[in-house]
Amino acid sequence: MFAYYFKLGLRSLRRNPVLTALMVLTLAVGVATSMSTLTVLRAMSGDPIPSKSDRLFVVQVDNQPAETPEGEPPTAHLSWIDARELLEAGDGLRRTAMYAVGGVAEPEGEAGNLLVNGLAVGADFFPMFDVPFRHGGPWSAEADARGGTEVVLSAAFAERLFGDEDPTGRRLRIFEREFVVTGVLAPWQPMPKFYWLIGGNNRFGETEDVFIPLQTAIANESNPNGNVNCSGDGPEPGYTGLLNSECVFMQYWVELADAGERTAYRERLGAYVEGQKALGRLPVGERSRLLDVREWMVEQDVLGDDTILQTLLALGFLLVCVVNTIGLLLAKFTAHAGEIGVRRALGATRTQVFQQYLVQAGVVGAAGGLVGLGLTFGGLWLLARQSEEVAAVAHMNPVMLMATLAVAVVAAILAGLLPTWRACKVVPAIQLKTQ
Amino acid sequence: MLRMNHLSKVYRTHMIETHALRGFDIHVKEGEFVAVTGPSGSGKTTFLNIAGLLEEFTDGTYLLDGVEVRGLNDDQRSRLRNEKIGFIFQGFNLIPDLNLFDNVDVPLRYRGLNAAERKRRIDDSLGKVGLGSRSKHFPSELSGGQQQRVAIARALAGSPRLLLADEPTGNLDTQMARGVMELLEQINAEGTTIVMVTHDPELAARAARNVHIVDGQVSDLVHPAQPVRPVAVATAASAR
Repeated sequence: MFAYYFKLGLRSLRRNPVLTALMVLTLAVGVATSMSTLTVLRAMSGDPIPSKSDRLFVVQVDNQPAETPEGEPPTAHLSWIDARELLEAGDGLRRTAMYAVGGVAEPEGEAGNLLVNGLAVGADFFPMFDVPFRHGGPWSAEADARGGTEVVLSAAFAERLFGDEDPTGRRLRIFEREFVVTGVLAPWQPMPKFYWLIGGNNRFGETEDVFIPLQTAIANESNPNGNVNCSGDGPEPGYTGLLNSECVFMQYWVELADAGERTAYRERLGAYVEGQKALGRLPVGERSRLLDVREWMVEQDVLGDDTILQTLLALGFLLVCVVNTIGLLLAKFTAHAGEIGVRRALGATRTQVFQQYLVQAGVVGAAGGLVGLGLTFGGLWLLARQSEEVAAVAHMNPVMLMATLAVAVVAAILAGLLPTWRACKVVPAIQLKTQ
Repeated sequence: MLRMNHLSKVYRTHMIETHALRGFDIHVKEGEFVAVTGPSGSGKTTFLNIAGLLEEFTDGTYLLDGVEVRGLNDDQRSRLRNEKIGFIFQGFNLIPDLNLFDNVDVPLRYRGLNAAERKRRIDDSLGKVGLGSRSKHFPSELSGGQQQRVAIARALAGSPRLLLADEPTGNLDTQMARGVMELLEQINAEGTTIVMVTHDPELAARAARNVHIVDGQVSDLVHPAQPVRPVAVATAASAR
């Protein structure tokens, strides 16, 4: 009977075109508003690396001064002192410290130099974050240790410099040094860019242009291309002064073999802090902690209160639209009372009438969903105008596309429950007499 | 086919109690053509609604084709209605946005018949009322008489044992009414029991038996050859 009810539902759309158009539009606007904000919310709050998000941890070693108020969260960044010590301790399956570097690339044959954004990382960075390669691969651990001049290029940057050609083994002058290209990433843009959330407004932006070994950046005295926070008197002059100071500018990630190792690692981190306290450092070091990927995203407020508020308002608007649709469906189904009476007289049970009109509400919902889909694309386009960050995530994907249709149908069915219940309560004898 | 004994129907509001039928007795035999007459408000429509299982009654018994109707739930009544009863209404009650084929299809859908069987029945019944070639037309494209024929085809498609007609010619001119009446007589001649409510004495006279209702009671049961004569005490025994 579903096919029959569906056919009747399609036919009923034509019966009261104005009422139908109002219902479809009401639902479409409600669905489009909520789904466009939900699309952004989902992209912002999604797990960017679900296969290992529970065993990848940011390590926060709190080196704030003793007078830091209680309840203050630990610093997001680490000092080089702590990053170096943790790297040397070698705990965890994989580990990397990283900091942002910037400078100039001087490609051969190019008319001018190019500004590049880079990240100084350890070789473990690539397997830790499941970074895909189009050509070549990461540099070796040995290159890591000696501070080699290997570089990995992003897909976009490699294409800009070398076109479709495989540049592996080619030389490239960046940051005033000659580097050898060991690999080119395949297109890779985790949403959000969880591995480097701090020190910029590029949380949903593109991957860095280049990745160079951390030790090379240190040896090259590459200054941090981002926030450097210092407490107390600040660092001694010069790059070495920065490295030996309590200034924080590094991020430290560790990958554990499984989530259960977290406690053990936390204990080792505690032991490290105690050791440093004995040396007169880390007066509030007991606040140091590990955060997995999701915790880290919450901590960094990736979602933002505005996005959540916007989503709640949009859902509220959808509710208003559903309530309006209830009224419109009541009007529509009331106009069908005569037909319901006839159907009941001809043998339809109340259940069959209920099913028929619920399917009819669902058909209105499906129509609303299709129109709403178009409006959702429009809504996303408008949202993308808000900021570059939102623009990066305001894209429809197949899951949200299907969800848009499903939400419209479910909303219409929910809106149709009361009118349908009233429809199946129609007393046929009265309707047949008044026909 | 249809037997009601001491049946009553009371409509109650918080202030008023209206006795639409009281001590109502009637027995319609299989294959009969019974005309039900009576003044407005006498209970004819209430009787027809109860007979068609569209309304419940307050007291008494009602046997439809041997089935005791009291105690059946809504689903059971709907199924019984679908299987045993065909309706013809004064206002035709066709569904305007369905074509003739789909209108006749409605009761068959609820019967759960397969597509081939439904098509066969629809073609047969539309053919029987002379509208086989117009199955794709919509009700608004037909005259009143043709619409009533479609309603008859819809009632016949389910092969009902009992046809209930409420003023079937009330909205038709004399010529169309005659045509519809001839069709009903033909259907009756083929074995279908017909109970027809009418105000028209000429139509009533064409039925095999007349039942006159006054104040919710059967006033007299007479053959059309005899004059309709109200009596003080209602009795169904005289009809048996």
